[in-house]
Amino acid sequence: MKKKIDFKNFSIYFDQYLFIAITLLSVMGLFFLYSASQEDISTVAKQAIFVGFGLLLMFLVSQPDPDFYKTFSGLFLIFSLLLIFLTMIFGKEINGAKRWLDLGFFTLQSSEIIKISLPIFLSSYLYNKPLPISSKHTFISLILIGFIFALVARQPDLGTSLVVFMSGGYVLFLAGLSWRFIGSAAALFLLSLPFLWNNFLAPFQQKRILTYLNPDTDPYGTAWNITQSKIAIGSGGINGKGYQEGSQAHLDFLPETETDFIFAVIAEEFGFIGVCILLSVFFFILLRCLYLAFNARDRFCRLAIGGLSLVFASTLFINLAMVVGVVPVVGMPLPFISKGGSSLLSFYIAFGIIISMATHKKLMQR
Amino acid sequence: MIDLNKRDIEKQSFSRRLLLIYFFFGLIFLILLFKTYSLQISSYSEYELAALKNKTKEVLVQPTRGVIYDRNGNILVNNVPTYDLIIQPSKIRNLDDFLSNISKIIELSAAEIENINKNFKRKANYNRELTIKKDLSNEEIAKFEVRSYQFQNAFIDVRYSRENKYPYLFSHALGYVGGLSNEEIQSILENQNLKQSETTFKYSGGFIGGKTGLENIYDSSLRGFFGKKLYEVDARGRLLKELSFKKPINGNNLFTNLDLNAQRKAFEKMANRRGAVVALELKSGSIVTYLSTPSFNANGLSNGMSSLEFNKLINDANKPFFDRAGQGRYSPASTIKPAIALFGIKEKIVDWNFTLKDPGYFVLPEDQRIYRGWKKGGHGTIGMKDAIIESSNTFFFSLAYKSNISDLINHLSEFGFGRNVCKDCFNPDSGLLPTPEWKMNNLNFGWFKGDTVNLGVGQGYMSATPVQLAYYSAFLAKKGNLQDLSFIKNDIINDSDFINNLKIDESDWNKIHSSMIGVIEDPKGTAKRLKPLKSYFVAAKSGTVELVSTETKEDYKLVRQNIGNRDHAIIIAFGPMPNPEYAVSVIIENGESGGSVAGPVAIAVLNELINE
Repeated sequence: MKKKIDFKNFSIYFDQYLFIAITLLSVMGLFFLYSASQEDISTVAKQAIFVGFGLLLMFLVSQPDPDFYKTFSGLFLIFSLLLIFLTMIFGKEINGAKRWLDLGFFTLQSSEIIKISLPIFLSSYLYNKPLPISSKHTFISLILIGFIFALVARQPDLGTSLVVFMSGGYVLFLAGLSWRFIGSAAALFLLSLPFLWNNFLAPFQQKRILTYLNPDTDPYGTAWNITQSKIAIGSGGINGKGYQEGSQAHLDFLPETETDFIFAVIAEEFGFIGVCILLSVFFFILLRCLYLAFNARDRFCRLAIGGLSLVFASTLFINLAMVVGVVPVVGMPLPFISKGGSSLLSFYIAFGIIISMATHKKLMQR
Repeated sequence: MIDLNKRDIEKQSFSRRLLLIYFFFGLIFLILLFKTYSLQISSYSEYELAALKNKTKEVLVQPTRGVIYDRNGNILVNNVPTYDLIIQPSKIRNLDDFLSNISKIIELSAAEIENINKNFKRKANYNRELTIKKDLSNEEIAKFEVRSYQFQNAFIDVRYSRENKYPYLFSHALGYVGGLSNEEIQSILENQNLKQSETTFKYSGGFIGGKTGLENIYDSSLRGFFGKKLYEVDARGRLLKELSFKKPINGNNLFTNLDLNAQRKAFEKMANRRGAVVALELKSGSIVTYLSTPSFNANGLSNGMSSLEFNKLINDANKPFFDRAGQGRYSPASTIKPAIALFGIKEKIVDWNFTLKDPGYFVLPEDQRIYRGWKKGGHGTIGMKDAIIESSNTFFFSLAYKSNISDLINHLSEFGFGRNVCKDCFNPDSGLLPTPEWKMNNLNFGWFKGDTVNLGVGQGYMSATPVQLAYYSAFLAKKGNLQDLSFIKNDIINDSDFINNLKIDESDWNKIHSSMIGVIEDPKGTAKRLKPLKSYFVAAKSGTVELVSTETKEDYKLVRQNIGNRDHAIIIAFGPMPNPEYAVSVIIENGESGGSVAGPVAIAVLNELINE
């Protein structure tokens, strides 16, 4: 139930369902992270600070009227782009990828921000355009999306760039992009796959995809991660091996236990039952977003809630699909669970904005 | 109104599209849930095993190999603990750097470095250990342990090396051990219900198996059963803690009926001449002496020798690796005569009263070809007993001439010729008992009567190993009641349990025995020089294997200038008579005289066995 609590002249905007579910996920995340980090209390403490700050941020972000975000969406986008450019220039290079901006107290992954600001900007851009959207506006939107996609893909960060691309695509689609256009775009994409493969994918990304398509070729090389992740999940069984008892995670067989592969740790230690409980919380959040999107007060809010919630869902599904071995390994966190401040904070902001849009009513609509 | 309507249409389109994506996502959600389900529930056992395999490492523990004893309880082969320096080749990036570092602390010989270079790659591929130096001194151990932190991939461990305590005496009889190949280990593990699929035996080198001799024949009994230690390991393969230890079951000791003293005596007497000595205990039908000379150091092969030494042995013209006792083929020569005599008696071709005038040669009626005896002028008028004592060729040429070849062959095969007579000899040769069919198939010639005549004196195509000759000797001694030979003391079975098809009267056996005693005791006996060497009666038959056919002594004098052309000396003997306990055969290649060269060796061995 979305609520507007009145304190005489002062109102608080708050969605208890989302708030409780997200807080629950965050706390579960801290709990899981303790085990996944080999009981490293400092990692958990650091994450706990992010969670606390993030929840506060979410609350604060949900207070302004959605019109605020509509008005300043362009500014947000420019700010996000600026961060990306700064990353290109001053970014920290880790494993050949330049994705992080060292802010001293915090290492920012700028692409995480733009996957929030892009759908909001597009929602705002398409807010007052006649529908179905004209080819001109479609074209402008696509150029913007493509430009940002290319920027992130160049870092290189295939996973996030795909999500960025989707984040824009979802808004366009929800705004009524014609099916004919979608069909021809899809055909064009398929035709240009070889070109994209050769020109946009770094060798390590190509290798990951090839390994995924044919995992037997390299069981202890690139496929190691997928293999070990599947073993971790599979060996969890129904009940799991128990908290902190996952041998795959604790004996270092599983890679990236704190970040991308934390789901495998959860599945190993809590089994299928644990997985179902965790996923049902995510499922609940998604259903709540669907409800909120249906009941949004105007086109801007509808598109933004739809776009943001789909970004959230996409991140979730790509992570899960990667960890269970359905798609190639791409860097993608499990929202609210994986260690990593940028992704965490951007989702708190996203949900703050969703709550803002769901709780602020337009008087003229009544 | 229109505006509102339009908004409704737009809202509917939005909702439809959002629902479409949600529906699509719901599908993905179900797929992922199903995938998780299939991993965690359908394939649980498979992944549980995989996780178990990941986190555990089984290390094979080799059982202690059985000790080999002689019949008096002397240890012949033992296990000696040594402290060895061992490396894990798969973890060493740069071998040259490693070697230059380690040799600053522990000196490595050229042979050791050669061994490392030879095996490093293979061991690395198989993820196995490589022992780079054996039997470290206390000083070397201390030096290494202090600096062990510099060598993460090397360690010192106690290993048992196989020690043949009399490496030259028993190199052929007992054989040597060597490292097992991957395939050999796998098949052993399968036999011991340690399935390879359930295990990851990494870094578990150094397992040995018998390669030749009794070490090989009784390998599975000597080896025992592998144990295994189960360790928890992390992804880097570091051992974290020992989870379980299934103790190995040590191998069974092997109690042979070999006799150390007799073997040693035979070795001394052979004095490195090329040849073989095989002695049998008659009661048990077991081998007490099994010697092939020249010999080699069995420990060198078990525990490693340089390829220089190895090549020297391989290229040695005297062929020390060749097991003459079990694999050397020699014509039985005159030693065959007692068996031929028994054939003549059995087939009633001759009897003990039959005599023949021996002019020193036999003329084959068919083609007038002359077959000569060893004594110019012959032995005069001679009966069977004297024909054995004096070794008259003419008598036995004539006897063979009158024989049916296929009956003769059947008769000789009863004496162990042409077949393997040993249950536990390593790669025994069966010699050759030639038949007309064999000759046709192998030489593309029909059987001549002359071939039968030659067979009568053990020359021609026929050949036998020293083991077969010893069996033959024992067979004569036991009057045909002999089972196949073994190194192990068989359960003593009543002689009557062995039924031979010979149907030879006891009295004929006794006459053969007394003829053979005459070979030594009679002044005309071919081995009369052996008489003073012993204090009891010995039955014997000497032989001289002609390698080059000569007509006169003068011719032979020319031929013998080349040592390799000289006759082989050969003797079979058993005693003490009249109740023989041991039988023996001795061959000395190019030794020329069966009676006076091979004979003393045979008597010395019998003395050692009988007077013990």
